Amino acid sequence: MVGLSVGEKHFIQGGIAQDLRSDGRKRLTYRHIQVETGVIPQADGSARVKMGATDVIGSVKAELGKPNPLQPDKGKVSLYVDCSPTAAPMFEGRGGEELSTELSATLQRCLLGGKNGAGAGIDLSSLSIVEGKVCWDLYIDCLVVSSDGNLLDALGAAIKAALSNTGIPKVQVAAAVSSDGQPEVDVSDEEFLQFDTSGVPVIVTLTKVGRHYIVDATSEEESQMSSAVSVSINREGRICGLTKRGGAGLDPSIVLDMISVAKHVSEQLINKLDSEIAAAEACEEESGHG
Amino acid sequence: MSGTAPATYSPSPTMQNKKRAPIFTDVDWVRPDGRGFRQCRGAFLRTGAANAASGSAYAEFGNTKVIVSVFGPRESKKAMMYSDIGRLNCNVSYTTFSTPIRGQGSDNKEFSSMLHKALEGAIILDSFPKTTVDVFALVLESGGSDLPVVVSCASLALADAGIMMYDVVASVSVSCLGKNLVIDPITEEESYQDGSMMITCMPSRNEVTQLTVTGEWSTPKIHEAMELCLDACSKLGDIMRSCLKEAASASQE
Repeated sequence: MVGLSVGEKHFIQGGIAQDLRSDGRKRLTYRHIQVETGVIPQADGSARVKMGATDVIGSVKAELGKPNPLQPDKGKVSLYVDCSPTAAPMFEGRGGEELSTELSATLQRCLLGGKNGAGAGIDLSSLSIVEGKVCWDLYIDCLVVSSDGNLLDALGAAIKAALSNTGIPKVQVAAAVSSDGQPEVDVSDEEFLQFDTSGVPVIVTLTKVGRHYIVDATSEEESQMSSAVSVSINREGRICGLTKRGGAGLDPSIVLDMISVAKHVSEQLINKLDSEIAAAEACEEESGHG
Repeated sequence: MSGTAPATYSPSPTMQNKKRAPIFTDVDWVRPDGRGFRQCRGAFLRTGAANAASGSAYAEFGNTKVIVSVFGPRESKKAMMYSDIGRLNCNVSYTTFSTPIRGQGSDNKEFSSMLHKALEGAIILDSFPKTTVDVFALVLESGGSDLPVVVSCASLALADAGIMMYDVVASVSVSCLGKNLVIDPITEEESYQDGSMMITCMPSRNEVTQLTVTGEWSTPKIHEAMELCLDACSKLGDIMRSCLKEAASASQE
């Protein structure tokens, strides 16, 4: 937990009310976002995202699996967030578990859409190989390396970057079906298919401090929040998921106002992230060939 | 309650015989239990379901049956740090026979923390420093919209236990099926849904304590769904309040 004196609390709250936060930002300005892709060679795709002192890693691993009998034409995605005790001493032992499950559940809600996959950022039917028999299981694992607020937005960005860095191996399905009914598949280790990430939404968390909302709150600012609303929004400006945090109640009209502010902010964030991801990919390619 | 009964809720738990799932096309379909799209299931609420608890409540919305017990305020565990406000501890569990496939209810791990977040804003935690209130919810039968029923029932149990609250917490969810918004969905509808929204709110303060949205939504649709939920929440709040009044007047006699 952040220990703040009364004076410091007033300074933070007053700054937010005057649209000049303690690190010089305006209420709706993000910290500098730094994206690095391909940081984990063992994974099929990975990215590291830094927002100020918040530092997270997202990795994607694809494995062959069996589709869910209820959705035979779709692949599966599982998402897990790990809060390492290296980030904060309170994550030690079972301390990080609660935050981990909360973040995982929220990210799942924001990125994977409804129960039948509608509104999902990831097209699950593209992961199908042989209907009802074989599909790709996508394991998205995130690690919180260092935490200084706004973990959810950073994790969302890391997953987006990791997915665009992901190459799914091309698969050849043998025409003959073996005796046990399982089709034989041949996974290519040279040819990869680029993953389509145009539908992956970004997450914008608006933290309400006093009567105003701010984006990209640091942990000091988060300690002063009354409530926060995280909205995931895709490129078309459609809302893909929403969660509220913090105990204080909100007037419905404020919720709707926060959604429209989040929508406005998301446009800039998507563009900024896209250019950062493109730059990171270019940088990785250069060093890979050099 | 006013003489003209609200269309959304009727306190009569009548369930028709089971029918097979229709295929939800965009044009014309009837809900499996014959309700209108904007009609909630009949709500049956009772306080004082468990004897040992400081307060308890039983709720039955169609096939969804939930029992919630509240213990405390009692002394916080010794290992807990000193706190000048009270603590709230929530736990939601499913009976193994609550779902068609045995033990399936344990998929809903995040329900406990969702219940906590929905209630903490409504309870006046300053009124019981250094102590803990335990809220244990048990889903006896899962019939869809489980969490909203749990939340509403838990706030009723808290009121029964005499825990100070700003207002009762009422909760309603809507499912988006194709172009239609369907309020208070049953399990079958939930499994076909394209998106869902759940609101927990304090009706007389007009405050949303918890809000979750899944699936893809346009802004006008969010507005529409929120309005629908809030309207149903205020009606449910009235029913909850009349249930509490009934229990109080019965105990006086």
